[in-house]
Amino acid sequence: MTDDQTTAPAPDGALAGLDDTPHTGEGIEADGTLVEPHSEDFGHAEQAPAQPDWFKRAVFYEVLVRAFADSNGDGTGDLRGLAGKLDYLQWLGVDCLWLPPFYASPLRDGGYDISDFRAVLPEFGTVDDFVYLLEEAHKRNIRVITDLVLNHTSDAHPWFQQSRNDPEGPYGDYYVWSDDHSAYADARVIFVDTESSNWTYDPVRGQFFWHRFFSHQPDLNFENEAVQEAMIDTLRFWLDLGIDGFRLDAVPYLFEEEGTNGENLPRTHEYLRKVREVVDREYPGRILLAEANQWPADVVEYFGNADVGGDECHMAFHFPLMPRIFMAVRRESRFPISEILQQTPQIPSGTQWGIFLRNHDELTLEMVTDDERDYMYAEYAKDPRMKANIGIRRRLAPLLENDRNQLELFTAMLLSLPGSPVLYYGDEIGMGDNIWLGDRDAVRTPMQWSPDRNAGFSRADPGRVYLPPIMDPTYGYAAINVEAQQDNAASLLNWTRRMIAVRKQHSAFAEGEFVDLGGSNPSVLSYLRRWERPDGELDLVLCVNNLSRFPQPVELELGTYEGFIPLELTGDVRFPRIGELPYLLTLPGHGFYWFQLSRLGDEGERRSKV
Amino acid sequence: MTAQTHDDLIAELATELPAWLPTQRWFAGKDRAVTAVRPVSWTTLLDGDPLLIHLVVEVDQEDRTEPYQLLVGSRQAQVPDVSSSASIGLESGLTCYEASGDADLTAVLLELMARGTTVGELTFETEEGAELETGLRAHPITSEQSNTSLVYGRQYILKMFRKLSPGLNKDLRLHRALREVGCHHVADPLGSITGVLDGEPTTIGMLQRFMPDAADGWVMATTSVRDLMADPSMAPEELGGDFAGEASRLGAAVATVHADLRRALGTEPAGADDLDEAVTVMVERLDRVAADVPALAVHVPALRETFEAVRSITSPVEMQYVHGDLHLGQVLRTLSGWLLLDFEGEPAASVAERSRLRSALRDVAGMLRSFDYAAQQLLVGRADDPVLTDQAMSWARRNRDAFCEGYAEVAGTDPRDEAVLLRAFELDKAVYEVSYEHANRPDWLSVPLASITRIMTEGS
Repeated sequence: MTDDQTTAPAPDGALAGLDDTPHTGEGIEADGTLVEPHSEDFGHAEQAPAQPDWFKRAVFYEVLVRAFADSNGDGTGDLRGLAGKLDYLQWLGVDCLWLPPFYASPLRDGGYDISDFRAVLPEFGTVDDFVYLLEEAHKRNIRVITDLVLNHTSDAHPWFQQSRNDPEGPYGDYYVWSDDHSAYADARVIFVDTESSNWTYDPVRGQFFWHRFFSHQPDLNFENEAVQEAMIDTLRFWLDLGIDGFRLDAVPYLFEEEGTNGENLPRTHEYLRKVREVVDREYPGRILLAEANQWPADVVEYFGNADVGGDECHMAFHFPLMPRIFMAVRRESRFPISEILQQTPQIPSGTQWGIFLRNHDELTLEMVTDDERDYMYAEYAKDPRMKANIGIRRRLAPLLENDRNQLELFTAMLLSLPGSPVLYYGDEIGMGDNIWLGDRDAVRTPMQWSPDRNAGFSRADPGRVYLPPIMDPTYGYAAINVEAQQDNAASLLNWTRRMIAVRKQHSAFAEGEFVDLGGSNPSVLSYLRRWERPDGELDLVLCVNNLSRFPQPVELELGTYEGFIPLELTGDVRFPRIGELPYLLTLPGHGFYWFQLSRLGDEGERRSKV
Repeated sequence: MTAQTHDDLIAELATELPAWLPTQRWFAGKDRAVTAVRPVSWTTLLDGDPLLIHLVVEVDQEDRTEPYQLLVGSRQAQVPDVSSSASIGLESGLTCYEASGDADLTAVLLELMARGTTVGELTFETEEGAELETGLRAHPITSEQSNTSLVYGRQYILKMFRKLSPGLNKDLRLHRALREVGCHHVADPLGSITGVLDGEPTTIGMLQRFMPDAADGWVMATTSVRDLMADPSMAPEELGGDFAGEASRLGAAVATVHADLRRALGTEPAGADDLDEAVTVMVERLDRVAADVPALAVHVPALRETFEAVRSITSPVEMQYVHGDLHLGQVLRTLSGWLLLDFEGEPAASVAERSRLRSALRDVAGMLRSFDYAAQQLLVGRADDPVLTDQAMSWARRNRDAFCEGYAEVAGTDPRDEAVLLRAFELDKAVYEVSYEHANRPDWLSVPLASITRIMTEGS
């Protein structure tokens, strides 16, 4: 190793473009420590109005900075562009944005390969632009969370460059190095399409490094106290600027241990408790959301100790629910959904699930059995190009063959099943995908704002846009765009907005107990959401979903609520009073109802809201 | 307070029952006229207004006499909220009614069971270890045929057996045995009501855990068939509504219950006599039905040959307690898997016949027949459509195979390997169906006849 390599960090091209902005590795101390930017170097955003437990009732919206709006005409979406669209998101009813990583990155894994935790990818803007976005969002009572990858960095991160070049230096032990590749043999390879082992040989250091994901993403060594502290400092950096929380990416894999599969280890939980303590003590009201693609019984561990209301993550995604919603509708059977919810344990009082239909990743099929996966492929990925890793890369509308009834049914379930719903940008207008684009780009095309050039996304020359907008006759931006749908009262966009508004009138949707009503018709999924309001009144919502394409009758056992009146929530329509006998409803194909069960008498209205 | 016996009321009621009984769905003797109805025992469960009397009557029909139980209600201050078909007008002007639809009155049955009391000849008990929540109101379920079942809240279901036979009911007996060996595929028995008939303690009611999350197998299967018929161009395995996974899990559940029944109540090897007798019964039925139904005639020689082949089976056949009337309507899909219901056996069979040990393949055959029915039910009454018929056949084949595979996974042996016996049982069942459809639903006759043709062709 030469002196040059140890005294000057060797960021590769990934950090290019950061010359004029503060970034990690712009300087180096005598002992080899890299100089990193501090939050005091930037402005800080005002916080959104304090609302304890806001995340339990929030509607989340996942938006890719790259894909939403381009403010400077370079063909790529950016933070200022996103800030310019906040009025639209507020109008839609969004409470919290989830931004996938916008950090400096060589972009070999959609930005999840972070080469500097404290710098923004230059094409998206600067840290100051991010503070501006936060400030504008908070003014509209919209919160912002972002992904943080704790588990690994890009191999372009200056820490890794230091680690491989200077094994004895301050970063020598930041990654998991080994002389051979025999350790941790029981840990599965996750990206089976591209990786054959979790170990890769680094010729610079002459050792193997450990990686649970791509070989250009070395895992950080959490055994090392300095790494644990460095990552907490990374969180502090963004929290100081005013961010509302983090989605912690790939959280089950932080620690390794011989003889285990390296997932969900006790020490990983111990570290999360430590992170949570910092958040609670220094930044109350901010949240941690775990991305743990695991069975519910394992995922609940990430909420932590139920006796104290949870002491790890505030939220976790419910991964197994989503493929089962698709399966249930295709099979016209409520059992796939009912079963997974029955197998879902109670969660601590201070926590909430995040649920979704689609996101920026493929529709992952890790949390289904082999049989079910074959079935999902056969049903929803008829073209081999629609598959990626263990999943399906499609947007919601094309998955449902652009069937408006099904789009509404799926969205109604997303907004009424237990958990905070996470919408994926563009699904509110029924955007399509482009399966001819590589990797997972099929579902990452520009947001379709208008029928103008580049779908109104960018003023750049069309050839410069990072991905071509969808242009096919069904889903193309000429047909599907925000402008046209805002003007059309019957559009999917306006329908979605109304449903979000209805959901917000009833806390039962957000925090109510979930009671599956079963019933003799297997094609109808019915459930109650039951919430006791602070004033002691019950907020009772009854949701009935016809999973079949044919009309269906259903008889519901509602004996406990004899005398209540079902009030249909989208139109305030009063249905016949519930009697002693089973309550008969009929639904059109893929139809659904939301009712409030009200004690109101014949004398007049007494709607209970929120 | 000593309850009055209300002998006069009962005597007056008895004169109205010969006309009233045949109007009730659960009455099993609709094939001949009721000549007399004699009250044999009655117990006042609630006295005053309202009044609730448990009544057992003997019904004379030509050469046949059979006991039935009734719940008789009467109200004066308030009109009961029950359907008009339940009411039994009396000459004295008082109106009585069959009280299973009156939730105020049926609540008493649950209370008495929870308390574990004896009223007159009736003993109300809970099963060992069961604790009952009371104060629940009940309503009768509408799908029940030969008995009356009341659902209390969303927790319990009480089956009141209508036609009684002396002794411990087979349904209760097998449920208890299965619970004792920890079987997960039945609903827990929680309580019972015992009366006295011919001097013998006799089960008249059984309380079980109710499964509000459940859908019955027939509805599940026909949902899949409906999907298939709407897309006749697709093969069953390509369909969204494919049922094979469920059929396989159902097969595994049935095999588990069979194994549990063997574990709980033992087995006996079938002797040559048993096989001979089984053949005799099957052949006799064949001859009797063929005499009535001309369309069956062409199949008679081949069917007889199939039945006769059972005599020469040399491998050992095990006899055990079985379900006895297994079909898709007797199984429930719950969130925790498949449950089997109603272990009474064929309603038309005699008590002695129902409680005999039989080959478990009888149940398998019953379920295989049920898949044929589910597949073809949408074709009944339609013009012949070869495409849809083929679809139905391939659906049935796929799900029969899946059921047997699921069964084999648990049992260790595939029922299809015992081809001679299984075919005979399937065909025997189909012959019974021919006679039933001929008498009751001529439109449906094509279903068992098509199956007989198929089974005979597949066998050759």
